[in-house]
Amino acid sequence: MSPSLNPLRTKFSSPLKSPSLYNLCNSRNLHLRLHLSLQTRCKQGSTQQQKPNPKKKIVLFGAAPPVSEEKDRQVSSRDGGTTSSSTPSAWRIVKRVPKRALALLANLPLAIAEMGAIAALMALATLVEQGESLEFYTSKYSEENPVLGFFTWKWIVYPGFDHMFTSPIFLGLLVLLGASLMACTYTTQIPLVKVARRWSFLQSSETIRKQEFSDSLTCASVQDLGAILMGHGYEVFLKGPCLYAFKGLASRFAPIGVHLAMILIMAGSTLSAAGTFKGSITVPQGLNFVIGDVLAPIGFLSNPLDSFNTEVHVNRFYMDYYESGEVSQFYTDISLLNFEGKEIMRKTIRVNDPLRYGGITIYQTDWGISALQISKNGEGPFNLAVAPLQRSGDFKLFGTFLPTGESDSSGKVKGISMLARDLQSIVLYDEEGKFVGVRRPSSKLPIEINGTKIVIEDAIGSTGLDLKADPGVPIVYTGFGALMLTTTVSLLSHSQVWALQDGSTVVVGAKRNRAKREFSKEMNVLLNKVPELVGTNDAIES
Amino acid sequence: MTITLAAIEHILNMLSFSFILIVILINIFSAISSIFGFGETLELRNSSEIGLFFCFFCTTALLIFLWIESGFFPLTNLRESLAFLSCVSSLIYFILKTRNNQNELNKITITSTILTQAFFAVWGLFFSPEIPKLKILVPALQSLWLLMHVSIIMVGYVVLIIGCLLSIAVLILMATNDAVSKEIESRILDSAKGGLTMAETLDLVEYYRKYFPNYFKIDFIEDLDSWSYRTISIGFALLTLGILCGAVWANEAWGAFWSWDPKETWALITWITFGIYLHVRMNQNWKGKNVAFIAFIGFLFIWVCYFGINLLGIGLHSYGSFN
Repeated sequence: MSPSLNPLRTKFSSPLKSPSLYNLCNSRNLHLRLHLSLQTRCKQGSTQQQKPNPKKKIVLFGAAPPVSEEKDRQVSSRDGGTTSSSTPSAWRIVKRVPKRALALLANLPLAIAEMGAIAALMALATLVEQGESLEFYTSKYSEENPVLGFFTWKWIVYPGFDHMFTSPIFLGLLVLLGASLMACTYTTQIPLVKVARRWSFLQSSETIRKQEFSDSLTCASVQDLGAILMGHGYEVFLKGPCLYAFKGLASRFAPIGVHLAMILIMAGSTLSAAGTFKGSITVPQGLNFVIGDVLAPIGFLSNPLDSFNTEVHVNRFYMDYYESGEVSQFYTDISLLNFEGKEIMRKTIRVNDPLRYGGITIYQTDWGISALQISKNGEGPFNLAVAPLQRSGDFKLFGTFLPTGESDSSGKVKGISMLARDLQSIVLYDEEGKFVGVRRPSSKLPIEINGTKIVIEDAIGSTGLDLKADPGVPIVYTGFGALMLTTTVSLLSHSQVWALQDGSTVVVGAKRNRAKREFSKEMNVLLNKVPELVGTNDAIES
Repeated sequence: MTITLAAIEHILNMLSFSFILIVILINIFSAISSIFGFGETLELRNSSEIGLFFCFFCTTALLIFLWIESGFFPLTNLRESLAFLSCVSSLIYFILKTRNNQNELNKITITSTILTQAFFAVWGLFFSPEIPKLKILVPALQSLWLLMHVSIIMVGYVVLIIGCLLSIAVLILMATNDAVSKEIESRILDSAKGGLTMAETLDLVEYYRKYFPNYFKIDFIEDLDSWSYRTISIGFALLTLGILCGAVWANEAWGAFWSWDPKETWALITWITFGIYLHVRMNQNWKGKNVAFIAFIGFLFIWVCYFGINLLGIGLHSYGSFN
């Protein structure tokens, strides 16, 4: 925290308490620790306490910062503390190497630099077109006319920026960030769990006064303070003249949880990328396919599942439309049949509502028209195969052709053309290509074209299905849930209060890991509530 | 009934535009008068708040009418999401005001609210198609996830924008205050080394209060910094929730968590930027200007992600595009 330049903030904001000199020597700023003779009074109050090993307790809390403090200090202090073992020196050297590597990886500025580099590469990927051919890049970013004066196609293709999100540089940075995350969690955050679990009382007034917020209440008792704190939701522990209270312990561990959740997500997506089976297929209504035929592995860890033997039968494909004619939703009624042909599952799927079975998910992603069933001059029905003519985004056009005569000398065949945008209505054109009329398949109304009577019986659609078998999904979902939870919890604050009864004075120290500036105001309000004991003998040990 | 829903929406749009115009004029007028020494009047500030409240009312009514007209929750295109953004922005301002009643924080939030409302009003009136056609929702958007994902992201954007504006205020104030703060810091360091008596300390403090009136400005800067940190933390959590909701929705709809769509990529870039902001604060040497600058960059990225990508109209998120 930047040097706070206000030595008297506590004084101004607590007018109810007598501005004792103790207030003046309390400050949140380490630079302003004024050494006054009055401080010896504090020390005398605690001489009957911890002469044996005061240093140990003070160093523990001095060197164990809360989760939000510097990591480098913590790492170096741990390194210094653990080398005093009695193992042989060669083994110690070997053990030191991974410790060094860990310390290097857990360096915060390095992690920030990695994050920044990843962000910059992602931004570059949105500016440069991804996945195009080499000719595209050589023509667009040509050497004769480089962008920004130097940015030619070589800058893009050689480092792999044309397929940024699978390029070695990007993936390598991601791996490095993951390693940094793991190193940081291991070296810095997990030891904090051990420290947090051992809540110790602070036995000396001097240590208490070194806290971020500290104050002292004359003519007060530590039990009253404890009662007030309990009323404010703290958990209070009282041992003799010493008091320790805390609130919101969960938020101390939440940052660890955030990092662990992110590691989980990264591991899950790696498994996903290496072990997925993917495939897509367009199936006309009424036909079958075997799942295993459609799926193809996309990574080296892909293992086929038992459910790959299942056969999928498309019972029915239909669409809903808006009044204006656009497609509102498309549905496929699917049956799953096992190896013996027995139906094991049946579901109607639509977009946003896939079918899940045995580790495989079937998504509805697309549709088409596969055939038109017509009867000509009362004969039929004939199935005419339909071909897609134009596909741009959601706008589709399909067409088919019914030949009505022999081919002429130039090889062209005359016939009736039919076009359709969706399964609702078919547009018919005659042999010269002139528009004749529109028919809906459900109406079964005949239409006369060049002497031929056509009745459109049915438009048979085909459904576009995407199949996926992804082993990493449960892990990634767990990571997502954990990340959502821990991010929310880490917004809470973890406050700790220590107090010591020093004669008739209570010395209070406190700190909090979030919202630190408002903390002093809140603590002052809280301390104002502690009743002042009137008429006690000032039994000051001299 | 001769008044159609479209006409009502248009009227509401114009009303909110007029109210926000009045509010902006009032604020400009009071700013000018305080610069020139006439002083701010409380009545002017209250009236600007009342104007903002009416604008919020009109925007909310507009959202409700859009909802009624189309049958879907109004978050499907750019105009509706902008209306939602300004609505949430005003809502947060009113909530904060009733909870804290802290004047300084209110000034920043009211500024951001006014600007957002104004932006929406202008956009809705002049840049969107005049009469919205009967809206159809493509099949991929027919899901409850739409509501969750987009609304959480919108609220997250609002909170992050407020936090970034606080940081920008810190930057502006610090730019004018650097010289003074350095002086004060060096003096205090000297005095602490010397080891003063009580009387000397009191003299020192009196000296500062008398000769460095900007002293309390430094205090205010630290307050702003702390508020910015807290607000951005909350906004970061919301953005995380929103991005994760989007990823789960993508998996349910298309079978892939993450398609490296431009909008998704920029959302992740914004997320990383604010992650860097939160982590840089741990390093004591980097406090102050550098941190606030990172928040400023994050502010720019939010607008690129929300607006810039939509204007390009490419990728899976093209539903919200301009065309």
